[in-house]
Amino acid sequence: MSKKPSRLGVVGAACALGLVATLLTGCGSDSGSGDGVTKLTFAASTFGDPGRGPKLTAWLDEFNKSQDKVQVSAAAVPYPTFGQTVLTQMGSGKGPDLVRFDMPEFESAADAGLIAPLDKLIDVSKYELIKQPDQFMVHDGTRHGIIFEASNYAMFYNADLIPTPPTTYEQFASTAKSLTKGDVYGLAFRQTEAEEAGVWQDIFNYVYGFGGAWSDGKNLTINSPENLKGLQAYKDLYDANVIPRGADAATFRRMFAEGKVGMELNNGGYVTATRGQNPNLKFSVAPIPFPVRKQGAILAPIVINEASPAKEEAATFIRWALEPQNQVKLQEILGASSVATTTERSAESLKETPFLTVFDELTESSLPQIVLGFEAKTPDIRKVVVQNVIAALQGKADLKSALDRAQQQATELVG
Amino acid sequence: MRRFRLGLTARIVAVLVVLGVAVFPLYWMLVTALSSNGDLFAERPRLTPDIGRFGVFVEALAEGKAAGWLLNSLVIAVGTMVLSVGLGIPLGYALSRFSFRGKAVLTVVLLFTQMLPEALMVVPLFALFRRFDLLDSLTGLVLVNSAFVLPIVALILKGAIDGIPRELEEAGRADGARPFTVLTRINLPLIAPSIAATAVIAFFHAWNEYVFAVTFIFDPELQPASVGIANFIGELGTPIQTVMAVAFLFTLPAVAFYLLAQKYVVSGMTAGAVKG
Amino acid sequence: MTVLEQTGAPKTIRRSGGRHRPSPLGSKWTPYLFLAPAALFILVFQAVPLAQEVYLSFTRTTLLNPTRSEWVGLDNFNRIFGDPDFHRTLLITFVYVIACVVGAVGTGLVVALLLNKGFRGRGVARALVTVPWAAPGIAVALIATWMLNAQYGIVNRLLNAIGLGVPGGAILDSPRYALPAVLATTIWQLFPFTSVVLLSALQAVPQDLHEAATVDGAGRWATFRAVTWQVIKPTVGLLALLMTIWSLRRFELIWLMTKGGPVGATETLVIDLYSQAFDSKELGSAAAIGMVGVVISLIVITGSRLVARAVEKEDVR
Repeated sequence: MSKKPSRLGVVGAACALGLVATLLTGCGSDSGSGDGVTKLTFAASTFGDPGRGPKLTAWLDEFNKSQDKVQVSAAAVPYPTFGQTVLTQMGSGKGPDLVRFDMPEFESAADAGLIAPLDKLIDVSKYELIKQPDQFMVHDGTRHGIIFEASNYAMFYNADLIPTPPTTYEQFASTAKSLTKGDVYGLAFRQTEAEEAGVWQDIFNYVYGFGGAWSDGKNLTINSPENLKGLQAYKDLYDANVIPRGADAATFRRMFAEGKVGMELNNGGYVTATRGQNPNLKFSVAPIPFPVRKQGAILAPIVINEASPAKEEAATFIRWALEPQNQVKLQEILGASSVATTTERSAESLKETPFLTVFDELTESSLPQIVLGFEAKTPDIRKVVVQNVIAALQGKADLKSALDRAQQQATELVG
Repeated sequence: MRRFRLGLTARIVAVLVVLGVAVFPLYWMLVTALSSNGDLFAERPRLTPDIGRFGVFVEALAEGKAAGWLLNSLVIAVGTMVLSVGLGIPLGYALSRFSFRGKAVLTVVLLFTQMLPEALMVVPLFALFRRFDLLDSLTGLVLVNSAFVLPIVALILKGAIDGIPRELEEAGRADGARPFTVLTRINLPLIAPSIAATAVIAFFHAWNEYVFAVTFIFDPELQPASVGIANFIGELGTPIQTVMAVAFLFTLPAVAFYLLAQKYVVSGMTAGAVKG
Repeated sequence: MTVLEQTGAPKTIRRSGGRHRPSPLGSKWTPYLFLAPAALFILVFQAVPLAQEVYLSFTRTTLLNPTRSEWVGLDNFNRIFGDPDFHRTLLITFVYVIACVVGAVGTGLVVALLLNKGFRGRGVARALVTVPWAAPGIAVALIATWMLNAQYGIVNRLLNAIGLGVPGGAILDSPRYALPAVLATTIWQLFPFTSVVLLSALQAVPQDLHEAATVDGAGRWATFRAVTWQVIKPTVGLLALLMTIWSLRRFELIWLMTKGGPVGATETLVIDLYSQAFDSKELGSAAAIGMVGVVISLIVITGSRLVARAVEKEDVR
């Protein structure tokens, strides 16, 4: 009995290993090419937006139908975790082939060498790229991205609740206060740590609108008097209880669409999204009524992942996207945003949305939401700033010392 | 006698309060799923589910990706269950019935793994998965989930086998059966309840797992429900009713399964079980 | 885990592991064949990654380029221990763990005593009470977040109705109330487990002793201490250990409810480690934080064993 005692044991072990092997080969899935078609993934948070998401997916389908070599599929990664998710994948040498980034993540990914240089893949001289936003796509002579969407920040307001939009900060604040009644709030903005990237976008307008800046290009100026003034305004509005506290962007934008929020500082991309949620809402747009006419802009480049095995095919898609008729379509889907090249707004869309011109007029005074001179460090600086500003909102520190602390921590970070 | 009556009433009230607290959040999930926008955002929310809106469940499954998510979760959970129980039985048997060098170390290692948080292991595992091309695959999740639930499964099964009198095996061996046959013919039928318990524990460990899934799966088509539902938090535009409907569909099998298999799970647990 | 060793099999059976006699079950290789596949698995998916994590804790490594590590010795540890935010994290972890243990075991004991008496529908009650434990953590985080929603959450509406509303309503965004809210949710999910385990421990309480004590005129509390508590004491101890270890590693619930915020109010070690790795992209510091957690767990386990041994000796005497 003890001569061949282990045969069944061996069989048992072999069975278990065999099971593992079967599983490995059995459901191992991989994007790849079958019958000569290259399958690409394009990750963008906008694919999940109401109104815009389905239209963007349909726009991708037009590309897929236009030829039979490359298939691009949409991956909707939610905005709050977008940077973390996609950067993790790219850092590991994986991830989507095409990515629509926001500027902070674009800068740090480019700096880490995770984005494929486009100079050899796309001949930009063939296209009339809009210069102001496009300058941020090039680092030290190397092009890393093409503008997918550029969108200036403005003030969205409910035209039923607010017949004449405020034109000064004082009016803005008093309108917000007088509208806040029952289940209606005068204003909404992001103010929770879970939405760090969103809070950064929102406070950007307060800082720049009160004459401040995060840096002078060489040194960080997080605790400058102007910044303090702007962020004090932001905090005053929070303290005045005129916003739905704790509500995230998803919630308060829905509330805006339902007529429960009077005003919101937002980018042009949300014109379509708002309509998608409630086609009957009467709303309009005006420039942000802060002392200085300077506001943030979403610049969202489309880039090719350095780790993508199919860069040429990915570039095919970008070239298709840059063709004039596809740019026009993209622009109409994105609403009040602009795209890489100059497109005429059609008379039809101007009639439907007369305030589109408001966004266009803001282009000259809009800045991407990065820290100039410290572009690649923007996500780290953002984290420090947002955490300290929220600490001040929550009464854990006064604003001045919170900003001093942010300045000190961020200075250490950029070393 | 009077005092006894009062005590009884108080006890009934207390039990009802406990049950209410235990069940209310799930009930509220159902109510929210079955409310109209008007109800949700009204000054006074409705407190009972509007059964007429039952279609929200059908829509959630038909329109969104929820059905795909749940299917992926099912694949991962079944795979993990089969693999971890399949590996756990021989390991538990070896720990219970054999003396061998390194047994003490192995036992300590099994216990030690119980205190390693997934969040700690996710980074090196990510590197490992990249090397073996397991990112973006359900197989990868089956493997890693099995590895994490395996120690518990093995320890529960060891406990169960410990409880089987050796004499039964010796009778079997006298008939000339080999160790593996002894295990399958004599032990397995006797520990069937514990196997059921570990199967449930392994299944729901994988069904609920989030950290690995959110980090290792990029392809939306391969996302399990845990990730899909977590992404709802902060995703624009999905109506809360749909979110709650999907979450309810995700919760229901877990709760139903635990209730059905409760007897076995509880006995397995109290014999020293741990839920991941 | 340790529960198994201590409450599992009676001593006689444990001896049957046959430590000293040669195994009658085949050659000396047989056990290894039984355990090899599982051991290989644990080696690949637990031991190797853990070793890598230990290495990472002595390096500076960024998530954006994880294959390039720079050896920095104890820098990461020096930095985190010099950081007041990390001291806060340790404190929050401590508070969270203690509150979970006391809350879950205490609630579990009360519920177990409630359900231990015979009454009609007890089976149904016992089944229903396990519902929270069976519910997936993700779903729990989602429904808790919705119930705690500042504007439309049922909790705030109730609090407002009875005049106890949190100013502004945002419970999860208030450094004061976020931790209690997360704790309440955690305990809600854990108490079914502790009560079910304690309920089965209560079955071992000899009824005649109980009755004898009552006849002797001992009060309820005295009877409980003299009889019930003596029987369930080891189980309570083990549950406390289990709750400690689970709470030290709990992630999803806290992460999805608050991400550790606001202002670090709910940032436990695991949350801190995850956001270091994936938000700040500092894999080295993240690994160092993780090591601190592992060492704490080890201390807890070793300490509890020593205590258990001491108690056992005491009892023998």
